[in-house]
Amino acid sequence: MFEQFKTDLRWAGVRQNLVAWVFLLPFVFVYVAFLIYPFCRGVWISLHDWNLLAVTFNPDAKTFIGLDNYLRLFWGTEMTWRAWARPVLQGLCVLAALFCVWRYRTGELRWSTLWQCLMALLLLMFFFGWAPGEGGRWFDRRFWPTVGNTVFFVAMVVPAITLISLLLATALNRETRGAAFLRTLFFLSQVLSVTVVTLIWQMMFSARQGLLANVVREFGGVPLSWLAEPGFAMAAIVIATVWWSIGIAMVLFLAGLQDIPQEMQEAAKLDRANSVQAFWYIILPNLKRTITLVVILQIILHFQVFGQAHLMTQGGPNDQTQVLVRYIYQTAFRDSDLGIASAMAVFLFVIMSVFSAVQFMVSREDEQ
Amino acid sequence: MLYAKNRKLIATAQAVVNYKDKKAEKVITMRKTFVSMIAAAALSAGAVMPAFGTEVTLGRFFGSCQDAGTDVSAAVGEACIIQSIINAFDAENDDFDVTTLPTDWGNYYDQIIASYASGNPPDVHVMHRHRIPEYGQIGALADLTDDLMAHGIDPDDWTESAREAVTWNDRILGVPMDLHANLWHVNMDLMEAAGLVEDGRPILPSSPEEMMEHAEMVREATGQYYLAADFSEFEIGVRMVLAFLWQQDSNIFANGTATINTPEARNALELITGLFDGDYANSRTNYADSQQSFLNGEAAVLVNGTWVVDFYAEQAADEDVELTNYYVADFPTLYDEPATWADSHLWAIPASVQRDDPEVYEGALKLLAFINDHNIDWARTGHAAVRESVLNSDEYAELPHRSEYDNTVNIARDTPASARYGAIQDILNREFQAIWLTGKSIDAALSDAEEDVQSQLDR
Repeated sequence: MFEQFKTDLRWAGVRQNLVAWVFLLPFVFVYVAFLIYPFCRGVWISLHDWNLLAVTFNPDAKTFIGLDNYLRLFWGTEMTWRAWARPVLQGLCVLAALFCVWRYRTGELRWSTLWQCLMALLLLMFFFGWAPGEGGRWFDRRFWPTVGNTVFFVAMVVPAITLISLLLATALNRETRGAAFLRTLFFLSQVLSVTVVTLIWQMMFSARQGLLANVVREFGGVPLSWLAEPGFAMAAIVIATVWWSIGIAMVLFLAGLQDIPQEMQEAAKLDRANSVQAFWYIILPNLKRTITLVVILQIILHFQVFGQAHLMTQGGPNDQTQVLVRYIYQTAFRDSDLGIASAMAVFLFVIMSVFSAVQFMVSREDEQ
Repeated sequence: MLYAKNRKLIATAQAVVNYKDKKAEKVITMRKTFVSMIAAAALSAGAVMPAFGTEVTLGRFFGSCQDAGTDVSAAVGEACIIQSIINAFDAENDDFDVTTLPTDWGNYYDQIIASYASGNPPDVHVMHRHRIPEYGQIGALADLTDDLMAHGIDPDDWTESAREAVTWNDRILGVPMDLHANLWHVNMDLMEAAGLVEDGRPILPSSPEEMMEHAEMVREATGQYYLAADFSEFEIGVRMVLAFLWQQDSNIFANGTATINTPEARNALELITGLFDGDYANSRTNYADSQQSFLNGEAAVLVNGTWVVDFYAEQAADEDVELTNYYVADFPTLYDEPATWADSHLWAIPASVQRDDPEVYEGALKLLAFINDHNIDWARTGHAAVRESVLNSDEYAELPHRSEYDNTVNIARDTPASARYGAIQDILNREFQAIWLTGKSIDAALSDAEEDVQSQLDR
């Protein structure tokens, strides 16, 4: 009888497994067909000299070239290493290292994580030391500046969105009609397509008919052509993006806020905590997981910025708003260089993964 | 034909009804009513539905035109004229149903390349002369050479330059539609005020120094800009620099070697930056703003193409528009040889359509013949016609402003043929804009541009 029971149990297990697979299979199929396979194919293409149009008409027109596409992007001629080739970036690495050490000294970072961070920063400093020496040049002199623009864009947009949407969510987390109306209002921009958003902001920034220009003229000033002005073009794109993207982050924060037990907030009130103290000691610590989620989602989303730069500034002036996805797009579909474009896309995937991993590590460390 | 189709639909529906068991007559009656309703709906819908001919998909830029209609003679502007020609063909030919695909100027060629790569290009599409090498060298386009005459298109009637525009390795790969070029659009009132009109014609500069003198005269007399152009968006500024290069017998590349970092290029760029430095032009204007400033009477000259002549003429006739006295001039010669940037629009059919779909190929060719027949209507935009029979007609000579820029066809130039034309234009646009928008030095920009163009030529 015991044997029978064991057999039944085993069959139940098998059946459960089977049922699980039946439910999982559609997802696995879609995941493999639309994510894993295209990704692997992208890596494969990146190892070839692959002209999009030529290969379409003659599948044999591609050549396997190993890592040459990556070399073409990352490297140059007469490359030399100097300790302080890029003082700003390397200085930032030193500051980050000092910050990690300080966090370790205050007991907020474990020994193993500190070492991981220091090694990563040392590696970064080493990479930043490489540059073409005298008479040398990058094989693709636009690639690293484009990466820099993209990172700069993310570094501007993600904290701004996180902060603004967190403050908005905190302010609107109440059951009044006014708050409900404002919540809807702030979320509305999120439902617009990038084309509409860029059209609206192009009109806002236009030096001729734009809202900003009219306000400036009212006060006797000379309006700026934001989208053609160096230094302002990127700011214009950042502003448009923040306006467009705060909605979803605000909704996530609202959900997080509603998960905070009411008793904690009431206890804080009884202890005579003012609203700033309540925010700092009750709301923020309880929202850490949501903040991590929002930041990682935003990093992944905004590294893929394309429409705003493509439609508002066409990457200009002088490539100041050229971003990676636009460069990938142009390389693949304007120049037909699918191999190099795929190599860039793989690189983009790697840096998005690294930034997300760092953020994940930091938040995990905080929780512990 | 439509009525016949709908009758057939009703007959089929009733045949299905009759097939049912007679005993269930009640049910059948209900079904009959239902089917009749569907058939009636189909019939009434048929009145507004397009004819069910063979579908021919068409890709084009030129912008969109709402309610273009089929009256070609009433249309104004590129978008409406071309769409009304397409609509007129569609209305006259029940066997074919032309669908114009939604495309956008800025991304047009990216879309076309992507559609070829996915094996689903439009059955017929417009393109520029400069793109022929890119598509021609991989055999993407149908060879039309032997099929044109049979469809009423006579290549011998085309001008020599138009024939060259569509020819690749001695085969004709497209049907040319125009020659378009950069012109000087002139506000005669501002020029008059500055004393720059003689015998009803504007006095245009014949040297760089004279251009600066004229710019100063306009500034002093009117307080307005001498020249406006799109210097911050599309390639109008690049085309000005190219014209000044050709006028000095220079070019951006020859025989696979980039030749941009030259004294001639420096001259051309210093001339243009001189206009900005003297506040005779605004470097920050994009296409729409530069056009608007010209129409608002804020600039004596607008550098733009042939494609807007009829639009500006129409605007000048409008009492609400500041521009009233409009003149069109050939691009002036400031150096040794006359030259202006020019290109051609042409229509092509993918090789796959010719190979796999004879019916669609037939429809596409008929459409091209129809467009070729309407060359005079297309020339109304301001473009130069490509058919000798049209060029020599009185109707063409009498087109508004035509006589004012009739030398443009003789001074038309473009860069050497290259499969990398699009990327090279982008490089020049980026580097030249960097000079006047971000203060990059001319030497650095020319050196970077030469390096980047060379790497494109080496690919």
